[in-house]
Amino acid sequence: MDEVARLLTDYGPAFGQALFLTWKLTLVSFVPGFVLGVVVTVLRLFPLPPLRWALTLYVEVFRNIPGVALLIFIVFALPDLNVLIDYEHSVILTLALICSAFTADYLRTGINTVAGGQIEAALSLGMRPLRVIVSVVLPQALRAVVQPMTSLLIALMLSTSLASQVPLPGRELTALVSKIATDSAAGMAAFALAAAMYVVTGLLIGWAGAALEKKLRILR
Amino acid sequence: MSRPLEEILFGSPSPRARAITRVVSGIAAAALLALVAAAAMRFHEAGQLEARFWNFFAWPTTWAFLAKGLLGTLASAAMAAVIALTLGLVLMVGRLARPRLVRWPSIALIEFLRGTPTLLLIYACFLVLPSIGVKLSTYWMLTLPIGLSTAAVVAEVYRAGVLAVPRGQTSAARSLGLTEAQVFFLVVFPQALRYIVPALVAQLVIVVKDTTFGYVVTYGELMQNARVLIANYHSLVPVYLVVAALYCLVNYAISRASQRLGRPMH
Repeated sequence: MDEVARLLTDYGPAFGQALFLTWKLTLVSFVPGFVLGVVVTVLRLFPLPPLRWALTLYVEVFRNIPGVALLIFIVFALPDLNVLIDYEHSVILTLALICSAFTADYLRTGINTVAGGQIEAALSLGMRPLRVIVSVVLPQALRAVVQPMTSLLIALMLSTSLASQVPLPGRELTALVSKIATDSAAGMAAFALAAAMYVVTGLLIGWAGAALEKKLRILR
Repeated sequence: MSRPLEEILFGSPSPRARAITRVVSGIAAAALLALVAAAAMRFHEAGQLEARFWNFFAWPTTWAFLAKGLLGTLASAAMAAVIALTLGLVLMVGRLARPRLVRWPSIALIEFLRGTPTLLLIYACFLVLPSIGVKLSTYWMLTLPIGLSTAAVVAEVYRAGVLAVPRGQTSAARSLGLTEAQVFFLVVFPQALRYIVPALVAQLVIVVKDTTFGYVVTYGELMQNARVLIANYHSLVPVYLVVAALYCLVNYAISRASQRLGRPMH
């Protein structure tokens, strides 16, 4: 307990900043990742074989590539191709790409829950296919994937620990723990505190997701 | 699901719609080809297509070294999976146990291991444990944290499976005079396993991905060996591309296997 108190006086503000950076990275990579995932899902519905093929490749690649491998490629290999992205944006890009692939995958499952009869009905009302997708299919599909998207958001939050692998200007939680463990003997307490922050953040996201799910779920 | 949604949406196009689709398909194909060409151009302009960056891939030693790395990855992933499957079972039994003294610590442990990034656990084994006198080999510094964090997820997967087994099965087994342990391990759990095999195999993909952190503790897995190759041949882009492709292939194969297992068995 003593150790934690000393840690808080020494590194308290640093932990606050680290937690904030973890949250920020989570949010700024989730939002574009989610939007991109929705766009990919919609584009994959159209009967355009080359586009479908390319987007399936996109989803499979970013679903299966390990996050660190992608981050290291963006940070260390892309400069050799004269593409320079700063560290923070590299982390965000990595997480957003992975998030978009998983979103596309989950949303496809959500789309499969929409009954075919509804689409036939909408078409027979004279709606165009794009209109059917936007106003009939997507709203129901999005409501069906609240739970997997919550899990994805938690996984993404935990994946922000990847940022510790590149020299980001600020430190997120994992980078802070590794620095404290290298500099001082307070590694154990720092680890416990950071773990508690991750767990609480995850529980909060899970709780918010469950509340949203309860509000939005479609009872059939 | 009778027909896929795309087919209902675009199933019976008019001749005009069909013509438009063909044209747009052509445009999309051209745009994609242009994208590939632009990427190739960039490789060429940056000098990344020069033979010296690629020729060592023609040598068997390179592939032997990468294969050794892949073997290291799989050795770590397999052991982590074994830890996860057994410890997950223990945690799940604890989570479902009636005495609070067992249940609450199990819940706490599951939430802790599940809610902490694997990388943080690896750092704990790598930087924190030595300071309190525990020395692990690089293999265990990587495998143990991955196994532990996966165990917590697997425990929840097991639990979902067990809860999905109809209640009547438990009542029937009890009324036959089986003990609680027999009811669980002979009747409920085998049925639960059948529900969750796809989810468990999918978890294996995450385990393989997590072993990428091996380079953090300098354990000789694929990523670490890739770094050694890069240091030897100064060929960043090709090596990372090949390694990324290898990871994608391994994980894609596992995902496909899990989808296949997920099909109904009867």
